[in-house]
Amino acid sequence: MRIRHPGALWRGAQAAALAAAVCIGGFGTSGEARAEYADVVINNYSDAAGMRPVIFPHWFHRIRFRCKVCHADLGFQFKAGGNEINMVKIIDGQFCGACHNGDIAWSVENCNLCHSGKPGTPTQVHESTIQKLAIQPQAGGQQ
Amino acid sequence: MNRILRVPMAVLGLAAGTLLATGPTFAQDEKGKAVYDKVCVACHSAGIAGAPKLGDAKAWAPRIKAGIDTLYESAIKGKAPAMPAKGGATDVSDADIKAAVDYMVAAAEGGAGEPAAAAPAAPAAQAAPAAPTKPRPAALSFNRLLKPASKRNPPPPEDGIHDPDNDGTHALQAPLQVFEALPRSNAGNRVDWVKSLDNNLIAPRWDRTDPAAAPVVMDLNIVREVKGSMPDVVYPHKQHTAWLDCSNCHPQIFIPQKGANQISMAAILLGQKCGVCHGKVAFPVSECRICHSKKKNVMPVKNAQAQ
Ligand code: HEC
Ligand code: HEC
Ligand code: HEC
Ligand code: HEC
Ligand code: HEC
Ligand code: HEC
Ligand code: HEC
Repeated sequence: MRIRHPGALWRGAQAAALAAAVCIGGFGTSGEARAEYADVVINNYSDAAGMRPVIFPHWFHRIRFRCKVCHADLGFQFKAGGNEINMVKIIDGQFCGACHNGDIAWSVENCNLCHSGKPGTPTQVHESTIQKLAIQPQAGGQQ
Repeated sequence: MNRILRVPMAVLGLAAGTLLATGPTFAQDEKGKAVYDKVCVACHSAGIAGAPKLGDAKAWAPRIKAGIDTLYESAIKGKAPAMPAKGGATDVSDADIKAAVDYMVAAAEGGAGEPAAAAPAAPAAQAAPAAPTKPRPAALSFNRLLKPASKRNPPPPEDGIHDPDNDGTHALQAPLQVFEALPRSNAGNRVDWVKSLDNNLIAPRWDRTDPAAAPVVMDLNIVREVKGSMPDVVYPHKQHTAWLDCSNCHPQIFIPQKGANQISMAAILLGQKCGVCHGKVAFPVSECRICHSKKKNVMPVKNAQAQ
């Protein structure tokens, strides 16, 4: 994500850390994105719609399903943000909705379990090679 | 180091200036907080494995009753079942661990945890060298770019991308709760997913609804010779077909014919070929030897000719 909006992210992180400092005394968040490997943030529409971005945890799902279930049977392309997922498709049983239907997994009314990202976080695969390579040259300056 | 320290320091600096009228104990608190933020936060913020949460007066009260020395000892030597010695950061000095305990105790006693306000409760006997307890400037930190071990697999509220102000975030599972029970590896999720599957520690479904469906695993190795000193690459179909469908790779990523595909490290690093998955979801590119696993038989060396 720093590839795209390094400045914005930094400001966001700082603001978040500062907010935390003001309300809980300064501990808890350091504002540094260091999420679990392979967590995918999906934010094609969420921000614009006033929802938090969606975070999809691969580690959690691969304990329960092989890649094949999502990436072959359900048709998820190997591209973060590349599936044009929206809520109508989900409630019609596509994408996340193939499982988050109150039958295989909890259903869609649990908005905040999926829409759990910090507002403004761009679409990304966390800790991807590209992300790591791109961050390094900037790290000295910004982080 | 610098990655963790910078933000808290900036925050603290500001907090010190505008919010708290800080006393002389501030440097000590700051040290304790720095250690907490670096090491202890991994468990003590979300209450992983039953760790008493920072600022949770109820959870801390009975422990504080046992006396500060008991707490120091638990923190330095560890406490069964899940509190590791020094929180796992054995390179941190005893004094700094004690400062972290003081900070945690102060936070518990101060309710919402304004560390400076509650400081008198912490023992003043702490050997506190006046000036140098301030964390070193980030520019002087040992690792400039390497991510510290304590920042791996953080729980969602602390991972920097989940919004801690969202109630749902706190309902999510912390990776370490699960990973503790799985064989670990050196990178990525730090879980050896191949072993986890082979040893039946996890049972991911092959079919969305039918738990009994099983993949047809194909055991076919493809050896790709590599120019230069790096060992040859063995591409194993076995481990891949246990997770993936043939159509996930053929024909979009690879033409199913030995040698028909141009593969290079540059492409992999850019997220193509093997890099479609490795470095994103499957184990990352840093683990060279998992792919480059076949020793070269002959290594024509100049020395050999010279003999
Ligand atoms: C199973 C996960 C999941 C749940 C639960 C969920 N969403 Fe979504 N939602 C998504 C995904 C994925 C997207 C696509 C995100 C993007 O590209 O920004 C999305 C997009 C959206 C969008 C923008 C696109 C559109 O369709 O208008 C809105 C608004 C939205 N969700 C609202 C909600 C509300 C309200 C709820 C609860 C009633 C909810 N969502 C529950 C996964 C979920
Ligand atoms: C429960 C469903 C599910 C399972 C199981 C799953 N994935 Fe994914 N995967 C997703 C979703 C959702 C995305 C994001 C797609 C989007 O943003 O539109 C994704 C994205 C990806 C991407 C794209 C990353 C990029 O380059 O942007 C890769 C690669 C990937 N998955 C690999 C895997 C592998 C390998 C496995 C098995 C170990 C796996 N996935 C298991 C749902 C799943
Ligand atoms: C891997 C998780 C983990 C980390 C990291 C960790 N703790 Fe703990 N800690 C625990 C757990 C779990 C307990 C509860 C142990 C019990 O009493 O069952 C605990 C309990 C404690 C207690 C109370 C001990 C007692 O006797 O009641 C103190 C003090 C403490 N931790 C200090 C620290 C400090 C200081 C750090 C950082 C240097 C730290 N912990 C890092 C998991 C952790
Ligand atoms: C193949 C089925 C499947 C698909 C597709 C799927 N999920 Fe899930 N998901 C599950 C199951 C099963 C659970 C566990 C439910 C439970 O705990 O009862 C789960 C749990 C979750 C959780 C909670 C994790 C936790 O910490 O408890 C989140 C968040 C989530 N899914 C998001 C998504 C999003 C976003 C998508 C679409 C992009 C998606 N899922 C698609 C099956 C699926
Ligand atoms: C993770 C990706 C991946 C998956 C999944 C996969 N393959 Fe392959 N396959 C490869 C690669 C890489 C090669 C080697 C291509 C090369 O050398 O250029 C290959 C080569 C082959 C070849 C050519 C062998 C030869 O000696 O010429 C066949 C046949 C083949 N695959 C069949 C399958 C079948 C059948 C499945 C499903 C059961 C499958 N593959 C699943 C990546 C994959
Ligand atoms: C479609 C996704 C995908 C592609 C493409 C892919 N892999 Fe994998 N690979 C995986 C998954 C998933 C695993 C299981 C282990 C994991 O997730 O870390 C795996 C495991 C492996 C293993 C076994 C590791 C072990 O511990 O036994 C090797 C070796 C490997 N991959 C090499 C390659 C090579 C070389 C290529 C390119 C020719 C490649 N992979 C392409 C997804 C992929
Ligand atoms: C996911 C598997 C995988 C990993 C991990 C991996 N490599 Fe490779 N590497 C390959 C493949 C496949 C080739 C191409 C072999 C061929 O020419 O067919 C290759 C080729 C190379 C080459 C030959 C020159 C080139 O660019 O093609 C070098 C040098 C190399 N790798 C070094 C490394 C180093 C160093 C690492 C660790 C940082 C590493 N590789 C990690 C799969 C991997």
